[in-house]
Amino acid sequence: MSATQTMSTVPTSSLARTFLPWLLAALLVAVMPQIFGSGFAISLLCRMAIAAVFALSFNMLMGQGGMMDFGHAVYLGLGGFLAMHAMRAANAGWWIPTPALPLVGAFGGVVMAAVGGLVVARSTRTAFAMITMGLAEAIVALVLMLPRLFGGEEGINADRSGGPAVFGWDFGSPIEAYYVVSSWALLAALLMFLFTRTPLGRLSNAVRDNAERVGFLGYDPARVRYLIYIFSGLFAGLAGGLQAINDEIITAANIGSNAAGAVLLMTFIGGTGTFIGPVIGAVLVTLMQMALGTVTDAWQIYNGLIFVIMVLWAPGGISGIILAHAPLVRNGRGRLLLPSYLRTLPGFVLAIAGTVGLCEMAYRLQSIRGGGPRGGNILFLPADPETVAPWVVAAVMTTVGIWLLAVTAPPARGAWMHASGGTQA
Amino acid sequence: MIRPAALQLNGVYKSFGLVDVLRNVEITVAAGERHAIIGPNGAGKSTLFHLITGRFPLSAGRIYLHGDDITGRSSYDIYRLGIARSFQVTSLFNRLSVFENLRVGAMRVLGAGHAWWRLLDRYRPLRERAEEMLEMLGLEERRNVPAGLLAYADQRALEIGLAIVGGANTILLDEPTAGMSRHETERAVALIRKVTEGRTLLVVEHDMGVVFDLADRISVLANGNVIASGPPSDVRGDPAVRTAYLGAVAETLT
Repeated sequence: MSATQTMSTVPTSSLARTFLPWLLAALLVAVMPQIFGSGFAISLLCRMAIAAVFALSFNMLMGQGGMMDFGHAVYLGLGGFLAMHAMRAANAGWWIPTPALPLVGAFGGVVMAAVGGLVVARSTRTAFAMITMGLAEAIVALVLMLPRLFGGEEGINADRSGGPAVFGWDFGSPIEAYYVVSSWALLAALLMFLFTRTPLGRLSNAVRDNAERVGFLGYDPARVRYLIYIFSGLFAGLAGGLQAINDEIITAANIGSNAAGAVLLMTFIGGTGTFIGPVIGAVLVTLMQMALGTVTDAWQIYNGLIFVIMVLWAPGGISGIILAHAPLVRNGRGRLLLPSYLRTLPGFVLAIAGTVGLCEMAYRLQSIRGGGPRGGNILFLPADPETVAPWVVAAVMTTVGIWLLAVTAPPARGAWMHASGGTQA
Repeated sequence: MIRPAALQLNGVYKSFGLVDVLRNVEITVAAGERHAIIGPNGAGKSTLFHLITGRFPLSAGRIYLHGDDITGRSSYDIYRLGIARSFQVTSLFNRLSVFENLRVGAMRVLGAGHAWWRLLDRYRPLRERAEEMLEMLGLEERRNVPAGLLAYADQRALEIGLAIVGGANTILLDEPTAGMSRHETERAVALIRKVTEGRTLLVVEHDMGVVFDLADRISVLANGNVIASGPPSDVRGDPAVRTAYLGAVAETLT
């Protein structure tokens, strides 16, 4: 009796709880350009939205399905190319409105994943990862060999405002493009979220956890993987269509291993274990990429270092860290952690500052040897990389920082264990 | 007309490389029968299960389900034809909750298939079956716990649950009570008896109490051969069985 009562009451309240975050997200998407209206900010927001869709599609495989796709950019790239050709056709007078281009990209992604999936879906784990990598390399080579179709190294471009106007919008201005891109991104994210709650979505988790057992419950695990691969390709292709709109150019670089590596990094940094994790990762890494990219050319080193640190010490990513602390903050035990967490801060800051100093000096030195300009500050200090002193300072900072971390981190971890262990009992 | 046996193994051989694990195994399980397979460690009991459920290919011989040849079919085909199984080494979906494990277990049978256009929660019969199973297994309070974090006995209960939740006609349980306490074993046996009512059960079990309590027939496997097969009373008295396997255990039972 009580079971049926809870059954009838749960759906309505959980429905509200489920969709409230989405309403807030929609609101956020709508007002962001009103707050940050500069051209740079709007371009940044578009990139974040595209990266978020791409990372979510990647996590359908990695986090939800347990499949490590090292060639996932293929589906974004080929979807993007197809959307680009559609945009060119629109420029030539075909009636293809710009907001429909992501659908073209999604179609391209589905078709390619349906073909690629035939090759990869039979394998699991390492073999799966290897095959996706090889397949991607082959496709990049193919793209470069067909310059009439893919424009060679330069890629192909078109004009997003050259299509038919819709309600007086020609989508040429950044803000109009932003609303097209962000609306699609939001819709795609919602659809991917709903997918996790379908039978196929749940099957993907089952195949991740224990593919063999799925086979003894009447399902062919290879078929499940194949279907998920196609859905993942769909949303990657859609992200490609969005990128075509935003950049008005797609090149072979959008297909290659760099792009595939970038999405892996984002997804992992954000966290693969939650739905929102890849979005967090996409937003942060894109922000870092564009913000740091204007300050230093070495930002990719930092990106890589952050990735390594996350893999080693926070394999659940940022969303994993949040998940581990949310219950403690809610029940007030979070405050118990604060002192021990604060004690790790000096070591943290020192280690980061020292490492950044070393990287920047190495980069500067290399640039000076190559005929670049001398002088200028490193980390707000007038450090000359051609002298010994700043190197020693940076090296000492790094070493001391790491030593401090080694001393202060275990008690912080212990405090967390103690606090969260207390809640379970 | 004679009703064909639920499960019939004809001249089944299995070798891994040069090692013969099963040699000319003949077992017939009548429909509705509870049939136990016993034998010392390494006798090939689990291998036999793997052959029946399509995990390994046979080296020779044929397997029939209700008279239909299922030799060489894939494990998912064999499941669809009505054979479900549990594993000796617990094999669950560790990151999914107990409830979700059971839902996945019944999805294929209750029509959800590979659906991606409809939410899982909309499949009412599926939810009801999972709820019903939770109650049967006594796991209601653990319903939202990830299977990997369950206590061992609860994991074993869920292991049985995954095998029976789909309502298969023929159920193969591989050491269902291994590692359970006396009390948990009693509960598991009661559960197995209840859910296999009117179905065919083939069970591998080391606990002789459970075997003689549950089984209508017993087959004894030793060195890859069936050395005896019959009702519990016959098997207990069989001298070959005594020397090969039962020994002291049988003494205490008689």
